[in-house]
Amino acid sequence: MHQTDKFIRALEELAASYAEVDYQQRGYHVEVMLTGDQLRRFAKLMYELEYYLVFVSAVHAAPALEGRYQFAHFDVRSRILARVPVGDDGSLPTISDIFQGANWHERETRDFFGIVYRDHPYLEPLILPETSVDLKPLLKDEQQLKNLEEICWPPAAEEEGETSADQEKS
Amino acid sequence: MPEPCRPDSKPHRFFLNMGPQHPSTHGVLRVILEMDGEYVVDPQPVLGYGHRMHEKMAECRPWPQFLPNTGRMDYAAALPYNHGYVALIERLAGIEVPLRAEYIRVITSELNRIASHLLWFGALLLDLGAFTPILYSFDDREQILDILEDITGSRLTYCYFRVGGVSKDIDDKFVERTRAFIKRLRGRFPMYEKLVNGNIIFIKRVEDIGIIDADMCRRYGATGPVIRGAGVPYDIRKSEPYSVYPEFDFEIPVGSKGDSMDRFLVRFQEMEQSLRIIEQALDKLPEGPFMAKVPKKLKLPAGDANFSVEAARGELAYYLISDGSDVPYRLKIRVPSYSNLSLLPEMCRGMLLSDLVAAMGSLDLVIPEIDR
Repeated sequence: MHQTDKFIRALEELAASYAEVDYQQRGYHVEVMLTGDQLRRFAKLMYELEYYLVFVSAVHAAPALEGRYQFAHFDVRSRILARVPVGDDGSLPTISDIFQGANWHERETRDFFGIVYRDHPYLEPLILPETSVDLKPLLKDEQQLKNLEEICWPPAAEEEGETSADQEKS
Repeated sequence: MPEPCRPDSKPHRFFLNMGPQHPSTHGVLRVILEMDGEYVVDPQPVLGYGHRMHEKMAECRPWPQFLPNTGRMDYAAALPYNHGYVALIERLAGIEVPLRAEYIRVITSELNRIASHLLWFGALLLDLGAFTPILYSFDDREQILDILEDITGSRLTYCYFRVGGVSKDIDDKFVERTRAFIKRLRGRFPMYEKLVNGNIIFIKRVEDIGIIDADMCRRYGATGPVIRGAGVPYDIRKSEPYSVYPEFDFEIPVGSKGDSMDRFLVRFQEMEQSLRIIEQALDKLPEGPFMAKVPKKLKLPAGDANFSVEAARGELAYYLISDGSDVPYRLKIRVPSYSNLSLLPEMCRGMLLSDLVAAMGSLDLVIPEIDR
């Protein structure tokens, strides 16, 4: 797990909170909680560490929409999931200049959730037609909307206290 | 790109609309091409003609009812899609799968992968103007469809895997016919090589066309034969082994330059590797149940989980967020062709239009999986 160690050291420099999770249970190695400001620096870091972009997506759960980014590595077994709460203005910075593949993923997420990606070169509908810009089909209505804390895994009590505190915060 | 040779020397650009019904887009993909004579300046794919919103459908029904949907994204290789979904639910719910079921899953998935590669093989050459190879490759593919039809009940959009196992056990007839097919296809490879791989017209059409290096794959998230063609041996079956793949001895074919020829050769060699896996699996096939005991109504524990499998075109990832009920709260489906196609504008800038068809064919696109 050399790569993951290197990655975690870099994360600490970024002052992002993270949790190592059980791969057998969740299918990825590290969960990272970011703020909107850290996102672009984080993406640059992932590119420098030679990760590739698996997907960009989002989930609508109270209190706010949350962007989810997954990265993996071609040479070593390391899969990272990053979670970024969307700001009050419903926007996130784009990472499509760092990972060009994010261009389409961000356009798709905007189709489905209405998240606006700042400085995106061409934020036009991709999957849905131009006439359905306001459809946002994956947003939940009031009755369906669940609290994010309810749908998170219960934080493992044995691990560092910092981790569980962070999960409650988000 | 050469200078335009016209008397007024002004650039004469025009737009060409390729698709959504163009034969070389294999489905309803539209590419808006900005052209300068016969050279492509800027190709922009337009998606969504076959969009069905599978991700919303997953949020509207209990998880077992989503199973038929998984076979309807990549219709050419549906079983790896079945595999990813059932394995994800098994991971979330902590279900143990009998060993025999895992073997059956691997055998049928690999047969499906070969069928998909044979389809691509014929279709790519058809795009390039060679009509004969698709007749041979469909003849072989037909054998696989017959074998799979007997046990899965369908020929194309399979829904064969179940959470906890598979829906029907395989019998001696299946084993016998699969062994006969392995022998037959091995005998056909030299013929394919003679017919296609060494053909000078074919080589001239694909060599040095559409070069994709490892850095480009990283930036776009391209996986499968695209990254392997660029010389990186990345295959989820080896790098994040799932099911019983670690028990088999097989190699990951890689290319060197990352051009269309490399991607062609990688897929071609992959068929042989899949045959090797099937052969070993048939030899070791254990006895026992083919289905675990799974409660009819099963609630998934709250939380998220990811499961990645190597589909015929690259990495397929299901990412599910559960709220503790039996209806998924959110299901993200990451399909390989989506990322593989997104590099088209960068790859094809400055290319001849006929080369764009060759390069696009070498990506092995399935449009319903991109549109979902």
